Amino acid sequence: MNRGGLLLTRLADRHFLVLAAWPSLVAMLLVTAIPFAATLGLSLTDYDLVRSATWQFIGVENFVEMLHDPQTPRIVFNTLYLVVGTTAIDTLVGLGLAVLMEGGFRGLRLIRTLYLLPIMTAPIVVALCWRAMFNNDAGWINYGLSLVHLPQPIWLGNPLLAMPAVIISDMWTGVPFQAVLLLAGLLGVSVELKEAAQSDGASRWQVFWYVTLPSIRPVLVIALILKFIDSFRKFEGIQLLTTGGPGIASTTLNLHIYVTGLTYDRVGYAAAFGVLMIALIAATVGLLYAAMRRLA
Amino acid sequence: MKRFRRRRGDLIVRLGLLVFGLCVIAIPYMWIVLTAIKRPVDAAAVPPLLLSPTTFNNFVKLVDDNYFKSLLNSVIIAGLTTASTLVLGVPAGYAFARGRFPGRAFLGGWLLFSRMVPPVIFIIPLFLFFHDLGLIDSFGGLMLAYMTGLLPFAIWMSASYFADIPLDIEDAARVDGCTRYQAFVLTALPLALPGIVTVANLIAIAAWGEYFVPLILAGPNTTPATVGVVNFVGYDAINWGAMAAAALTLVVPVFLLTVAAQRGLLRGLTAGAVKG
Repeated sequence: MNRGGLLLTRLADRHFLVLAAWPSLVAMLLVTAIPFAATLGLSLTDYDLVRSATWQFIGVENFVEMLHDPQTPRIVFNTLYLVVGTTAIDTLVGLGLAVLMEGGFRGLRLIRTLYLLPIMTAPIVVALCWRAMFNNDAGWINYGLSLVHLPQPIWLGNPLLAMPAVIISDMWTGVPFQAVLLLAGLLGVSVELKEAAQSDGASRWQVFWYVTLPSIRPVLVIALILKFIDSFRKFEGIQLLTTGGPGIASTTLNLHIYVTGLTYDRVGYAAAFGVLMIALIAATVGLLYAAMRRLA
Repeated sequence: MKRFRRRRGDLIVRLGLLVFGLCVIAIPYMWIVLTAIKRPVDAAAVPPLLLSPTTFNNFVKLVDDNYFKSLLNSVIIAGLTTASTLVLGVPAGYAFARGRFPGRAFLGGWLLFSRMVPPVIFIIPLFLFFHDLGLIDSFGGLMLAYMTGLLPFAIWMSASYFADIPLDIEDAARVDGCTRYQAFVLTALPLALPGIVTVANLIAIAAWGEYFVPLILAGPNTTPATVGVVNFVGYDAINWGAMAAAALTLVVPVFLLTVAAQRGLLRGLTAGAVKG
């Protein structure tokens, strides 16, 4: 091919990639970048759905109110409680499940597929099911506890138990999800490396701790970060299970923003909580990432 | 021999634990099925009844409450969302996997960032915009809003599938005189098709299960089944039977799709994590 032809082809190539990518870029800007900027802007206004014609800029007043709001510390605490609780438990149990699913035997593929089902099930269905499970009298959980003569707490009406109930119900989808992610990492660990360690006399536990775990660290970090992000945005499993209650005992930032903005119409104030939430996510994800890098 | 016996015992323990885990996972599904065919009085019995007289009245109640209209809406929304997201996302994924173009770094960075931001940040402003644009309670508006989460996913996933296809084949097609567009449509797209089918499955399942977006942006004409099912939760009492019957209609299609597409789904769910 002569030089001129090559140049033309290159030009066409670049054009084609632009044509392929830019419609998506424009759509993304429309549905995410502009609303994102709008949330930042709204947080500086007193925008209210009932008086939407007369809103004005009020500077950082929303943030001042948020700092003095007696509910704020509890809601931030609840959010971190949920995020740290679900991430720690789901990832730990999920790692165990992934190890169980790793080996090769007949029927394993079917078993792996069945573990995918909770992940695919609509979160609203999961939430409704668990609400029935946690029901005081007619629920299966307290019935099971009564069969083995254990106390049967009022799960969803007790401020100390509402969040644990949310976390327990989260395990049903969260554990398989973490397991599937970590399984992909486990399957990528070099067999030669494990066998070499074994023939050097390492026990199975030592092989796992010194060979397998370091090898899956990148996947582990991503699984942790994804779980963090997903827990921050958890909605159905709180709104339908506990409605954030009793009181605000299980209200997280995500639910609080929805309620403040769309139930109490205070969109500007809700946006300020939105900014707080983004900052919190960025800080925790960044912290997690930095900690993992230092470990490596 | 000793080693063999140990491995065998090991296998039995693992299988036992895995099956036990599956039993735990099955419990809520069992509850749905059993409650869907119970009379309301049995569904609320204390202590709970595992088995009781069978009835199909709960499904009749679904018809009476016009629940099937919302199920149809779910099908429309999932179809529209999957089609539009693929049409936009697959070419963009290809561009990502195949080289540099102006805006690549920005688009890539924004995709990652938007994955981090919770939907509530996007959807409340969209509610205000849609209100002014008359897009509340419209299928088009819902489709746009569903894209906030699903378009980045489609781009990311299809890029990972295109990256697996050797460049040589496209180069050969180009040497034979294909334009870049022809090379994409005639060689890369068919080779990536199994992957794209997986992406389509995952997007359809996600759109089918979406609750938060339609809760805010749908209306009487477009309410999908995920929002419709909550109608059976009243302020004072819950119609557990009808609710379970409705839940069953949401679960069964996904069950079938998951089992049919099992192989691709596992890879689809994890591709992002393994490749980073």
